[in-house]
Amino acid sequence: MRFVVTKSCGGSSRVRVGSLLAGNPSSLLETPALLLSTKKGLPAFISPDLLATLDSPGPPLLHISPVHFLDGPSPSIISSIGGLHQMLALQSFVLVASPRDSIDSLPESIGANKLGAAFETPSGRRLVKPSDYMDMISSLKADLWASLADEVPAWVSEKRNRASVDRTLRWLDDCIALDKTGGENIFGAIVGGTSVKERQRCATEVVKRNVPGP
Amino acid sequence: MKVHLEVHDIHPVLSFQVSLLDLADITEEGVTFQSPADGKPMLLTPEESIRIQNKIGADIIMALDDVVRTTITGPRMEEAMYRTLRWIDRCIAAHERPDAQNLFGIVQGGVDPILRDICVRGLVERNLPGYAIGGLAGGEDKDSFWRVVAQCTAALPADKPRYVMGVGYPLDIVVCSALGADMYDCVYPTRTARFGTALIPEGVLKLKHNAMASDERPIDSTCTCMVCKKYTRAYLHYLVTKDPMGSQLLSYHNLSYMMRLSQNLHMSIVEGRFPQFVQGFLRIQFPKGDVPKWVCNAMEVAGIDISSCCSPIH
Repeated sequence: MRFVVTKSCGGSSRVRVGSLLAGNPSSLLETPALLLSTKKGLPAFISPDLLATLDSPGPPLLHISPVHFLDGPSPSIISSIGGLHQMLALQSFVLVASPRDSIDSLPESIGANKLGAAFETPSGRRLVKPSDYMDMISSLKADLWASLADEVPAWVSEKRNRASVDRTLRWLDDCIALDKTGGENIFGAIVGGTSVKERQRCATEVVKRNVPGP
Repeated sequence: MKVHLEVHDIHPVLSFQVSLLDLADITEEGVTFQSPADGKPMLLTPEESIRIQNKIGADIIMALDDVVRTTITGPRMEEAMYRTLRWIDRCIAAHERPDAQNLFGIVQGGVDPILRDICVRGLVERNLPGYAIGGLAGGEDKDSFWRVVAQCTAALPADKPRYVMGVGYPLDIVVCSALGADMYDCVYPTRTARFGTALIPEGVLKLKHNAMASDERPIDSTCTCMVCKKYTRAYLHYLVTKDPMGSQLLSYHNLSYMMRLSQNLHMSIVEGRFPQFVQGFLRIQFPKGDVPKWVCNAMEVAGIDISSCCSPIH
């Protein structure tokens, strides 16, 4: 993956336009870009044959949550089929895997512990360890993916918030270590709640790992 | 109240049939039922039903009939049949656009051949643009079902469309076509899709079955629809009955199957090889030769030789 800022407005303005080269074969995507949300890999609001009718300047970006596949298909089946692009018949799309979902399988910070993050799935609360997560990530073969984070809501204690940063960094290292593709496509997750200090700490540490994106 | 409305293709066909109501009060005036909108009682008269259909503007409109379950016996069945004939006259009188919209009469009479005969004659006298065979697809035994269809297709005019309402299963469509029916409607392909069942030449494939979880084949290797070109049984196994997209994709395939069946059936007639089409269809569905007796009986009446598909025991 490659990213280049192609235009910024200078001065105190932070807005910028970028180019993201990702996918296989590589596609050029302009940022800011919108990720289409999906359920078990396919958009919920439009059937696959109509995806092509969406007016998109480049190949559409789809956001896919690995947590949606906890109930199946299993990583071995997904691998056998050939990964997400094959399984979903979305070979020309750029697929981004991250456990973020606002409707289904939300992170449940109360269930998280030092071993893994927790999610409220349709089949109950599930604990996902970095090794489980990387099993899924390896089988999915998404173009870009985010590391496993210990996401907490804004109202937790300072102590819990700090712990979420510590865990997220540790899990980032675990993900990097278990990544079979050599760290080409990882986005390091940045947490820290509403604490600017913690956010900065997390961001600084993530940058040290020199992953392609935060 | 179940009001079936279907619109398909370039020529919208709207069927407005009070089909086998659970709660309805039927009088000579019309049908009183609970409005789905506010639960208040609503009266649908033959005149009102035609008036609404005139407004909707479909190419084919349906008469309001008095339909009862085929499992009912006794005077109610006879009453319903005669009332259907009285109502067709009211429908004809109320129809304001006979030049633009074709009013089909609906043959009732349950599984009683005498009642059916009276009803057919009555409707044919009115010289309608087309005829529907109603009151079936409601749980009657298969033997009665095909005999009613056969009787009606024999008695209805050859040069007008015969529409069997509520049919149905692929096998039923093949049999009814052999007996001379032309048109069908059914919720089966999409409804069964929502329950995770795919239609295939061999019959059905239940995608929720455990074996499907690791099956990387398409639903049907002979099918060229989008779903069969792109998706595996394994992936669909995890979608169907749980995600709306699962229902959509499976409905898509099932409808493709029905369209392909219909197209193949049609072409086989055009090319003069319909019996071979039927034999091929039955052989795939009944590889052991256990073709149901009612199908054998119906095909005999239809003049189609299927002896090569039936094993000697059956």
